[in-house]
Amino acid sequence: MPLLRSPSKEPLWKDELSVFTSDERYVTRRQFTKFLTLASLGMFAGNLWILAKAYFVKAPSFPSAAVCEVGEIPVRGAKLFAYPTPRDHCILIRTGEEEYVAYSQKCTHLSCAVYLSAKEDRLECPCHKGFFSVRDGSVLQGPPPRSLPQITLERDGTRLLAVSVKGS
Amino acid sequence: MPNLERYKQRYGLVAIDGAMALIVILLIVQIWLLSATLETFLAGHTGAVLPATIFSGLVFLGCLVLDLFVTRVDQQSRKP
Amino acid sequence: MHGYEFYVDPSRCIGCQSCVKACEECETHRGTSLINFDFIDRGGTTASAAYVCWHCEEPTCAMACPTDAIKKGDDGIVQSSLKPRCIGCSNCVLACPFGIPKIFPEYEQMMKCDMCYDRTSIGKRPMCATVCPSQALSYVRPEEIRGRREKPTNVFQFGNQKIVTRVHMMVPAETDSVSMDVLDYMWEESYAAFAQP
Repeated sequence: MPLLRSPSKEPLWKDELSVFTSDERYVTRRQFTKFLTLASLGMFAGNLWILAKAYFVKAPSFPSAAVCEVGEIPVRGAKLFAYPTPRDHCILIRTGEEEYVAYSQKCTHLSCAVYLSAKEDRLECPCHKGFFSVRDGSVLQGPPPRSLPQITLERDGTRLLAVSVKGS
Repeated sequence: MPNLERYKQRYGLVAIDGAMALIVILLIVQIWLLSATLETFLAGHTGAVLPATIFSGLVFLGCLVLDLFVTRVDQQSRKP
Repeated sequence: MHGYEFYVDPSRCIGCQSCVKACEECETHRGTSLINFDFIDRGGTTASAAYVCWHCEEPTCAMACPTDAIKKGDDGIVQSSLKPRCIGCSNCVLACPFGIPKIFPEYEQMMKCDMCYDRTSIGKRPMCATVCPSQALSYVRPEEIRGRREKPTNVFQFGNQKIVTRVHMMVPAETDSVSMDVLDYMWEESYAAFAQP
């Protein structure tokens, strides 16, 4: 590769398979260094892939689904539902007379199901004592690295609809 | 002069060892950067991805420069 | 190595073959002699010559080896073939200008003189140089060889190839390098006759 190797009178094969034992130490070091550089290129390529995904791949949109009727659950009560697919378990919490919030039930630590602790007014994960805020799903304490993905709700007459997932 | 050649060879090897150690450190930084970028992206914060990618590119350029340095030292210390 | 050099003087060889027997005693290849011992013209003269590997600076045998089995170390000694790598192809036998490497078909290995590396690496003499009674094969300091009438040379001309070796050959004082081209040893009259159109 003339680009990366300055011209020398020895052909590359003679250099790499030298008959002198003192050269072998250099060859192995050189090969290892080249391998490390290739690994670095691989990492950079990974980062580029993430960049491409962030900017060119649109998040999929799902049809909205009905969650419950207005007034169905009491204030500071919760209801479990599934959105966008039946396998994505979510939790709806009525925080006030007219205020509802909904989050994905999968804890961001190791995907255990979180539950509402009315006494402590927070979402708790039973597995490793991770606590989330009811206001915005952010982590209050514990091993979870990210906040809970929030489900955007819309009121359609007397029904509450889940329209999209934010931050998952 | 055989002694000069031995001297050049020995210090050439030391220089190459040093460059290799630096590359390993840079690689560890890059591994962490990649994992952190992935986690941030999965959390939905896409704003941090571009600066992270640029920095990863700079680290890779650093590794490339060190690799070229190793090749140069290798050729120089083994010049007959 | 350790200040000693190897000198070969074929004119001193008396044909006793002590070197051949002594070589067999080397630990690394016990029972197999690696000295190249020749009778120059068996029918016509009692002259003989014993040779060891010349340990060239750029060993042709190593360059020709397809499996990279022959290596030259930092101390300038060309080692015998590496056992796991040698395939017994005899490329080195054909390549060596001096005809030193020997193929042993029963082991499918090449073996050659390695200047008794187990001895010379710790400052001892090779077996052949130790026992040679006429010192045709000698392993001495350069100052000691200056006492002889002949002078040592380590440059050989093999066709277009100039070979510089580690082992020295004793030649007449006015000779600089030893040519291995047959034409150089033919009488001028006879090959001038061939050159006639």
